[in-house]
Amino acid sequence: MSAEAPVTAASRARTVTIEVNGRPVSVVEGVSLAAALVGDRTWTFRRNPVSEEPRGPFCGMGVCLECEVMVDGRPGVRACLTPVRPGMSVRTAGAGEGS
Amino acid sequence: MSLPEERDVVIVGGGPAGLAAARRLAAAGLSVTVVDEQPELGGQYFRRPAPEVARVWGDHRPEGRRLIDAVRAAGVECRTGHLVWGVDDDGRTLLVSDPAERPVRLRGRYLIVATGAYERPFPFPGWQLPGVTTPGFAQHLAAADHTPVGERVVLAGSGPFLLPVACSLLALGVTVAGIAEAGRPYRPSLRALGAVRHPARLRELAGYAARLARARVPIWQDTVVVRADGRDRVTSVTLAAASAPARPVRTVAVDALCVGYGFRPQADLARMLGCAVRTDPATGDATPVLTPSGRSSRADVYVIGEAAGIGGAPTAAVRGLSAALDILGREGHRPRAGELRGLAADGRRLERFKSLTDALYPTPADLARLLRPTLPDTATLCRCEAITAGEVRRTAGTAAGDVNATKAWTRAGMGPCQGRECGFAVSAVARTSSDVFPSRLPVRPVAVATLLEMAGEGGPA
Amino acid sequence: MTTADVVIIGAGVLGASAASRLARDGHRVVVLERGAPGREGSGTTAGNLHVQAVHTRRPGQAVPLDSARFAPLQRAASDLWEDVEDDLDASVELRRSGGFTVAETPEQVRELHEKQAWENAVGITTEILDGDAAREALPQLGPTVAAATWCRHDGYANPLKVTPAYLADAVRHGAELVPFAPVTGITRDGGAWRVTARTREVRAPVVIDVAGPWLHRIAALAGVRLDMSPVAIQMHATVRSSDGLPHLVQHIGEGLSVKQVSAGNLLVGGGWPARRLDLDGRSDAGVDSMVGNMALAVRILPFVRRLRLLRAWAGPLAATPDEMPVIGEVPGSPGFLVAGGTYAFTFAPLWAETLRCLVTGAKPPVDISDLGPERLMQDLPEKKR
Repeated sequence: MSAEAPVTAASRARTVTIEVNGRPVSVVEGVSLAAALVGDRTWTFRRNPVSEEPRGPFCGMGVCLECEVMVDGRPGVRACLTPVRPGMSVRTAGAGEGS
Repeated sequence: MSLPEERDVVIVGGGPAGLAAARRLAAAGLSVTVVDEQPELGGQYFRRPAPEVARVWGDHRPEGRRLIDAVRAAGVECRTGHLVWGVDDDGRTLLVSDPAERPVRLRGRYLIVATGAYERPFPFPGWQLPGVTTPGFAQHLAAADHTPVGERVVLAGSGPFLLPVACSLLALGVTVAGIAEAGRPYRPSLRALGAVRHPARLRELAGYAARLARARVPIWQDTVVVRADGRDRVTSVTLAAASAPARPVRTVAVDALCVGYGFRPQADLARMLGCAVRTDPATGDATPVLTPSGRSSRADVYVIGEAAGIGGAPTAAVRGLSAALDILGREGHRPRAGELRGLAADGRRLERFKSLTDALYPTPADLARLLRPTLPDTATLCRCEAITAGEVRRTAGTAAGDVNATKAWTRAGMGPCQGRECGFAVSAVARTSSDVFPSRLPVRPVAVATLLEMAGEGGPA
Repeated sequence: MTTADVVIIGAGVLGASAASRLARDGHRVVVLERGAPGREGSGTTAGNLHVQAVHTRRPGQAVPLDSARFAPLQRAASDLWEDVEDDLDASVELRRSGGFTVAETPEQVRELHEKQAWENAVGITTEILDGDAAREALPQLGPTVAAATWCRHDGYANPLKVTPAYLADAVRHGAELVPFAPVTGITRDGGAWRVTARTREVRAPVVIDVAGPWLHRIAALAGVRLDMSPVAIQMHATVRSSDGLPHLVQHIGEGLSVKQVSAGNLLVGGGWPARRLDLDGRSDAGVDSMVGNMALAVRILPFVRRLRLLRAWAGPLAATPDEMPVIGEVPGSPGFLVAGGTYAFTFAPLWAETLRCLVTGAKPPVDISDLGPERLMQDLPEKKR
């Protein structure tokens, strides 16, 4: 899929580099952080605090709070409402689990 | 604490309704502020693509861009990235946090609540898996971010919205493995939509139908999701006839599954402002009591757009204009020639269309009856607190049909989403009176640091 | 019409616990509840078990409570709480993880020493630590803490589990629970009371009015005018915190209680007034109290600053003008008993046992002779609350 994933691999669009769990990821300028992560095939954004199950973005409009990640050290940032900025550092709960 | 900023009109929500109202009010010379939580105006319907996405792949709704430009040109103050999280003790000052989570207090002589809608999910085993989303999220990813939600996708739920989402995915080269519709709206088949006499907007649906037929996307009617499987991401979905959920008819390999049963008005802010609400008999949703021009039980508060009751974007725009004209009338302005009459005609036409489409699909009350037996006790019902349907069913007897007692005793609906995702299902499963969880302060979680700054004790940590 | 031995009006924590004790004793009990059980004060309280002496004045409270008089009641309740889970054969998330009451000013430090004398007199063991020792014991405490009292008996039980557990126990032992049955009339009928609810009529020699903030309204139906001063206070919950806060933290001089519940959320309260008390609808939490309470929480526990506030809610409570509990039979109304007042959650097992004794004529576990309703029956002008 990554070969066609337009946001991460498009040659026609200007891209910026963000850091996802310590790894540089190139994404189209200005897209939502949720799209950037999904385009990078990262679906585990967080773990449910009760069940510890992996969770990913669900509603895409700021209601469900399942897409909360840590951005530049600030927790609880809703990725679906946050446009990417060059150099932003993102941590998901799925870090280091191969998800 | 800083003094509230005063405006003639404060509009919460920059979607089709809020923008229509804002443009008209500002054109008449009133000071208008639009507050929106999203990084750009447009709401969900006109959700703006990133400029770079629009440059390379085009804008899915260029009329949205034009409307936003017109609103800005009219002198409307636009505060995006601003979250309205509550109402102050005076009952009218809006409590807002800005993009840096600093407090802002806004007050309008008139308040317009245009907070839109959110989708109506219904749980099934595995709905909490990554890769299971609402159709709305798939649509935003496609239209605003040019990102496919998956490579092979099933859409499920009920309602006309599934069709345009499927088309957006097709346009990105996604394989849409099928659409499961819980009702039986397309008789005898989806193609029949094109034959329906009622023009214009139904033709739009027929257009989607034609595209789906060309791509040979199967539509399974009377079909619901009974489970999704996968470890860290959904890998398959199992479907069954709505009437026989215990006998699965097919399992489809997918890497994304998008399920939604239409929309619910997001009326929390209206309720917090003390506007009278009633439970809509057809939908079971808390719906503000309004005059035809959107005035609520509080003379200074209007509720417009989807927050006033689901009607679609064109209806939302009509409601926005109606509220604007009502306010202008009270301020001594005269409407433009024919403006009121045209608006009323538009409203009637849209109302007719809405009843036509509504008649095609099951009502939320039908859906509650239809879906309740499909949900096994082991399924997660409240995804925030990881509460199962069984836990809710077991308490339902003692909670005596009271949705709040059910919530208190099970924690279902007590998590960060405040029951917005599970509320419909909790009511359905606990067989409570058709009611919703009360709106609570804050409307969304608010940083303690923001509160401290309101207390005058320093900024965010 | 049903006949019973005891009609209990109100299925909050007091009604539920009293129903359980009386049903176990073989009495035929009917519990009438105006709405859903355990939803008002008992469903909105913080669930603190206050064993060490409490802050005597919640924000806005006119008269301080008599902390010395509270001490023996707290001691007796503390002992009874020890057995609640075994007794009900249910988990109520009971936790005796101890608590700190902090002081910031010299005056407040003096109060800690004063209350320690009352505590020790009734056998409640407490220890006073200076600020540094307190911070060593609980590193989350902030720099303004000058001293703190440690009491290992302070604790927590989940109020959303306690009332249902007592009710389930009562029903197991034959009690009948009738929800959504607001009482509309109470009349004398021979040697008994006839209680009319929306869906039921019950005749019984004993009526127990444990209707919380509605206590005076129920009493009025029986022709008893009680001067009560119900209030609504508010609570706040943060999102789950990964910082563990193992103990209850209170303040001796200001309205504050903070603890972490089993689910991981912090519960912040301290008796701050809600935006309004609405006995006919829903009482709403207010912003001023939210801001004030959270700012105080951050001053004492600075890590709270990094959290997000998830929700606030208001709960109505029974309170008396002298801020002391009321429990006993109403003079001149044989068999009409009332019980209520602030800190009812902590006192629930004690008041349940006391009510059982009052019904059966046994000696109550604590002296309640000065807590009866007589003192609230002054001939006052009709008050609308």
